[in-house]
Amino acid sequence: MTEKKFERRTTLDPAVADLLSGMHQRQVESQLPRKERERLSRERAKIQSRRDQRATYDLPPTLREEIMALSEELRIPASQLVTLALARFLNDYHLEKIDLGKYKQPSRSPRYDWNLIFPDELIRIKKKKG
Amino acid sequence: MKIFAFANQKGGVGKTTTAVTLADGLARMKVKTLLVDLDPQGHLALSFGLEKTPGLYRLICLDETLEKVVVNISSNLDLVTGDKQTEKVKRQITLSDFRESILTDILQDAPYDAVLLDMAPSLDVLHINGLIAADWVVIPTRPDALAVDGVKEILTTMAEINQSGHRYRGYSILPTFFDRTTRETFLQFQDLAKTFGEHLWPPIPQDTRVRETVAYGKTLWDYAPNSVSMNGYKDGKQRLGGYKQVLARMLEVIND
Repeated sequence: MTEKKFERRTTLDPAVADLLSGMHQRQVESQLPRKERERLSRERAKIQSRRDQRATYDLPPTLREEIMALSEELRIPASQLVTLALARFLNDYHLEKIDLGKYKQPSRSPRYDWNLIFPDELIRIKKKKG
Repeated sequence: MKIFAFANQKGGVGKTTTAVTLADGLARMKVKTLLVDLDPQGHLALSFGLEKTPGLYRLICLDETLEKVVVNISSNLDLVTGDKQTEKVKRQITLSDFRESILTDILQDAPYDAVLLDMAPSLDVLHINGLIAADWVVIPTRPDALAVDGVKEILTTMAEINQSGHRYRGYSILPTFFDRTTRETFLQFQDLAKTFGEHLWPPIPQDTRVRETVAYGKTLWDYAPNSVSMNGYKDGKQRLGGYKQVLARMLEVIND
């Protein structure tokens, strides 16, 4: 079946366009066989349940690449490696094993008071030698 | 100052609730706001937990000043009440000279940033006064065929007023009692979008909290500030529709 798409047009309020598009999708789904509707409903529930677990941060590219490489090497999801790293950081921070003071520089942003400036050797990950 | 008229000749489409909620919202955003009840049912006063009084009658028939007649609701919100004596106002206006611009004359120097006129579901001389005084007409409508017909009626009246020289800055269609799960709502909403394009504002979801709030004499901002009618539908991280989003659209008009 050819799916009719509502594209966001300048002549429509963006919220109206988004709502129409979502309602159209639901109308199309309601015409599908029951099994297909159930499958789509399960997929939607799965996406929604994972929504609270999502986060977006700016990271140095070297860190991101290193995590991806480690994920491939160990066959472990990158999200779980990052979860472990963050959990360990928070534990160490609360045990006062980490001193942020040595990285702190005043920020000119109206939102933040400080920036953390990391030395190159901290960000440049040393790769394990084979 | 911008004057908004909330109009639809079809009754029960949410004109009063919409006017009350948006007026209170504007006041909370520090916009000095006046709400005027042009409906003899006098429901604006009840919506704020007050008794109906003949504010409009005193203003127009007894020639009292606006300052003397208004009831202060909160720091940035005043109300001109209405009651059954509003019917006498219509009779008096009918007998007056320049009868169609009486409200325009009264409001032209009013010390407010926004004036919201809650119109009766009728097409009488007071209704015409409201439409002539307005810079922007907000037309609440249920997504059903009869209410949408009321939208067309208002637009026809506005076109006639335009021909007599009045220029509106714009108008918006506001779907209310919106239930996104029904096919009829979808079809009506689709038709409204095709017909009115950018004039269609995001809808107000159907919400039982709206009916409850009137019974308590509170506005939605006090009674149910996080209800679906206020916040709209959740769609991922964004919200679609609801009075808070519509308030943002109104502020754009006021600041334009």
